[in-house]
Amino acid sequence: MADLSDIRSETPDAQAPAPASGMVVVWRAIFVGILVLFVVLLAWRLWDTNKSEHRASGMAPPFTFTTFEGETISLDDLQGQGVVVNFWASWCDPCRDEAALLEQAWRREKDNGIVFIGLDYLDQEPAAKAYLAEFGVTYPNGPDLRSEAARRYGIKGVPETFFINSAGEIVQTVIGPIVNEAQMEAYLAEIRP
Amino acid sequence: MIFHIGYLILITAAVLAVFGMIAGFWGGRQRNVKLALSSYHAVYAVAGLVSLAAAILWYALLTDRFEVAYVWNHSERALPVFYKFSALWGGQAGSLLFWLLILSGFGAAAAFANRRRHWALMPYVNAVMLGTSLFFAILLIFAANPFRLASFVPQDGQGLNPLLQNYWMVLHPVMLYLGYVGLAVPFAFAVGALLSKRLDNEWVRTVRRWTLIPWMFLSAGILMGSQWAYMELGWGGYWAWDPVENASFLPWLTATAFLHSIVVQEQRGILKVWNVTLIWMTYFLVILGTFTTRSGVLESVHSFARSDVGPFFLVFMVIILFGFLWLLFKRLPLLRDEQAIESYTSREAAFMANNWLFAGIAFATLWGTFFPMFSEILTGDRISVAAPFFNKVNGPLFLLLILLMGAAPLLGWRRTSRQAFRKQFTWPTLIGAATGVAIWLLYDAGYPAIGLAACAFAAATIVQEYVRGVQARRITSGESIPAAMGNLWRRNGRRYGGYLVHLGIVLIATAVIGNEFFQQNTNVTLANGESVTLGRYEIAYTGLEPNRKVNHIEYGARLMIFDQKSGKTLGSILPRRNIYDKTPEQPTSEVGLRMTLLEDVYVVLNGWETGGSTATFTMYVNPLTIWMWIGGLVLVLGTLVASWPHPGRRRSEAAASIAYAVGSAGD
Amino acid sequence: MNRIGRALFALAALICLAWLGSGAVAAQDAPTSGPVEEVTLNDVNEVARDLWCPLCSGVRLDACELKACDQMKDVIAIKLAEGEDAASIKDYFIEQYGPQVLGEPPREGFNWLAWILPFVALALGGVFLWRQTARMMRPAAETSAADAGVAPPGAQKQTEDDYARKLDEELAKYG
Repeated sequence: MADLSDIRSETPDAQAPAPASGMVVVWRAIFVGILVLFVVLLAWRLWDTNKSEHRASGMAPPFTFTTFEGETISLDDLQGQGVVVNFWASWCDPCRDEAALLEQAWRREKDNGIVFIGLDYLDQEPAAKAYLAEFGVTYPNGPDLRSEAARRYGIKGVPETFFINSAGEIVQTVIGPIVNEAQMEAYLAEIRP
Repeated sequence: MIFHIGYLILITAAVLAVFGMIAGFWGGRQRNVKLALSSYHAVYAVAGLVSLAAAILWYALLTDRFEVAYVWNHSERALPVFYKFSALWGGQAGSLLFWLLILSGFGAAAAFANRRRHWALMPYVNAVMLGTSLFFAILLIFAANPFRLASFVPQDGQGLNPLLQNYWMVLHPVMLYLGYVGLAVPFAFAVGALLSKRLDNEWVRTVRRWTLIPWMFLSAGILMGSQWAYMELGWGGYWAWDPVENASFLPWLTATAFLHSIVVQEQRGILKVWNVTLIWMTYFLVILGTFTTRSGVLESVHSFARSDVGPFFLVFMVIILFGFLWLLFKRLPLLRDEQAIESYTSREAAFMANNWLFAGIAFATLWGTFFPMFSEILTGDRISVAAPFFNKVNGPLFLLLILLMGAAPLLGWRRTSRQAFRKQFTWPTLIGAATGVAIWLLYDAGYPAIGLAACAFAAATIVQEYVRGVQARRITSGESIPAAMGNLWRRNGRRYGGYLVHLGIVLIATAVIGNEFFQQNTNVTLANGESVTLGRYEIAYTGLEPNRKVNHIEYGARLMIFDQKSGKTLGSILPRRNIYDKTPEQPTSEVGLRMTLLEDVYVVLNGWETGGSTATFTMYVNPLTIWMWIGGLVLVLGTLVASWPHPGRRRSEAAASIAYAVGSAGD
Repeated sequence: MNRIGRALFALAALICLAWLGSGAVAAQDAPTSGPVEEVTLNDVNEVARDLWCPLCSGVRLDACELKACDQMKDVIAIKLAEGEDAASIKDYFIEQYGPQVLGEPPREGFNWLAWILPFVALALGGVFLWRQTARMMRPAAETSAADAGVAPPGAQKQTEDDYARKLDEELAKYG
């Protein structure tokens, strides 16, 4: 049975509303704009998060740091040499697997124009120094303050190692510990000047 | 073989959903009875098919079919049957299937309950529910297939995350999903109302119960999550403002505002734009929350493993946002207020202020949750937004909300006279002020004094309402007090049940204030036999008790609790650490807890020397925390009272329902 | 308990805790060089309670069980023993790790937006609603007069005559 409310509550489109005033249109536009911005940022973030490759590549991002001994080193100073940048932390167990290997390689190669740099990620000085002493590390190591370098190189954890040639290009990226001599030698060969 | 069938079932459900959507939207527009009926059938069919698919996955889990990748990832032979069952929602694909199961179930229930009424709205309602189901089916088919098979049959599974092996963790997601997912139904009705242009109170009245019940489940789910966090995670708190927690809280905020606001629309025909906007935001926040939990855009301890569902959600959210907004703008002229707000001290004005506050809190929470993402995109800085931010921003807002919660029921519709003000507000204000002053004098603490004053005020208004209601009944019918209360609940369930819910909130707020401002704690290493004093207790360590369970070893440290002054033994507690066989580096702990109405003694076992000669503990005394759980029960009870179908009302509702005008193009 | 009693009790508790706590510190291997005062587990956690784990999301430092967090707490112990106060320790960690250890956005530059925007939005929204209500209340006199004639929302029983009459009226109105 047709009910009165059927007709009453359905306002026909014939009743044209007054055209929206200028201010209302502006507010609507602002509202829509905010929603659009939100969605765009979400989409960007989604794309960014799921990018499989977000680590630095091509020209090595510059960085400057101060070693635990107080010396200031920047990547620019090392132009013309092959540079191995290793991100590590004293609380990182897999880092321990490659620590000795890195030190040995440094001692061998330091006269071949290759420099090893250790950047300490989200770590503490006493624990870091203890770690370095444990493995007898002699190449320059320093804290990556505010994770500046870590952000520029786009690391997702430690250890990660970047092999940079004398022209300043990243030629190899190793995620996780470097497994053995052979692997190390292969990478070093690419950056030896 | 059967798992391929399971996948095909999902595809069939998706196809049927498409047909049902078309039938619903078109049938609603053309007012075609056959198409409308089709939409009902599609809803039932989809629900049936999805149930079948879920049953197949359950079968796989319960019979250890590890060739199914999902079973391999989230189960193991040694897992107790209870947890094999709950593993359905322990991982990404399974929990999406669970979402779809509950969604299609709600769709079927809503369709069935309204199979003979609201004919103008229901085709659209069915279409929207099917549309949502379609989205989740697409996710399952293309991005997270629960029936994906491995190329070989593994011997054993990887086991369930130890943190999920806990009966809370079984119940909490179920409650949350029932809440979350159920809120799609009122949204579907709103869309139906907008599309069919039936924007009077028909949809609002129908939707009340369909919102109240999911809201109850959502509240229960959130509280259960808090209780689990309190008893399992061992940091003395229950809410960390983690993105996933916020994801469940945001739709709760807008849904609560919606529940209140539709009362005003029913009574006075105003706040119509608020209502459709609030339920739209609720639905959007539900989808946004589901997205946030699974896409990796925000870091959280709760997140599922990264997967490919993100882009799908993004598209769906764009449709929800801009599709509904377009519809809303088009129908705006039909959403005009029928009456006006006549006074700032009217109940209508209070409800509008309520909406404003809830919207503000929701916005602040959303903003704080996503701010780290904005900051990182726009400035590259990584910052964290955790409890300190939310406490400082939301704290004052919740305080205002509690005051409003107490004051609003005392105001009159349209306006409140001076005498009414005096009559209603005198006692509660005095009680509130007295409490505030007392707390301030006793503890010399400003914030808790204000907070507890507000709670006392609100509680006093509730008690006053009950007293007056009971008195009124006794005058007219001479009943005993319990009978009077019972009748208040039976005949005025909406109002007095609502008051109970408010009381629950007040109790929860009291617990929050107690825990936040008056907590005591200590960290200590005790040798066997040694004791420590904390608050009014003396706590002694008396030894380590290892206990072999099915898939883990449970180490419990026995602690005796004595009253510090009298030396009387009050009880003993057993904080535990569970070391799992498969994942020994991921232990879980269970807090040793002694709850009393006044305070909790809460101890976490951090570590021990082999053999248990010494053990390290973190100990807390948490005042008033039990009232959070009590408040939760009161809240649930209140919701049941408020939503209980009243025999007399049912009949008049049926009489008021609108018959469907058969389309002129007869069939 | 009255306030004096509470104060005395707190003092007694502190002494007990310090005495017991010193035992706790001895059981740990946190190095203390040139101690200004005995640093207890509780002192460390006092400071740790205001810091957040930089490696996790939303885990407070005193609740974090990661090795990195334990090392941070060791450093807190060392610094407390050297006489540093909580504020300078927090600054130290901000320098090391950035503002993410704070648990709230620092009040500088872009991050001011985090704090301000909610209140600005609330204020703007509130003003808008206030003005809308005021506008609504101006024709209040007219509305309450017309109130008597408006049918309450919801269907009412209509006789056939009423129905026909209203139908005519509506159709005439909307054309």
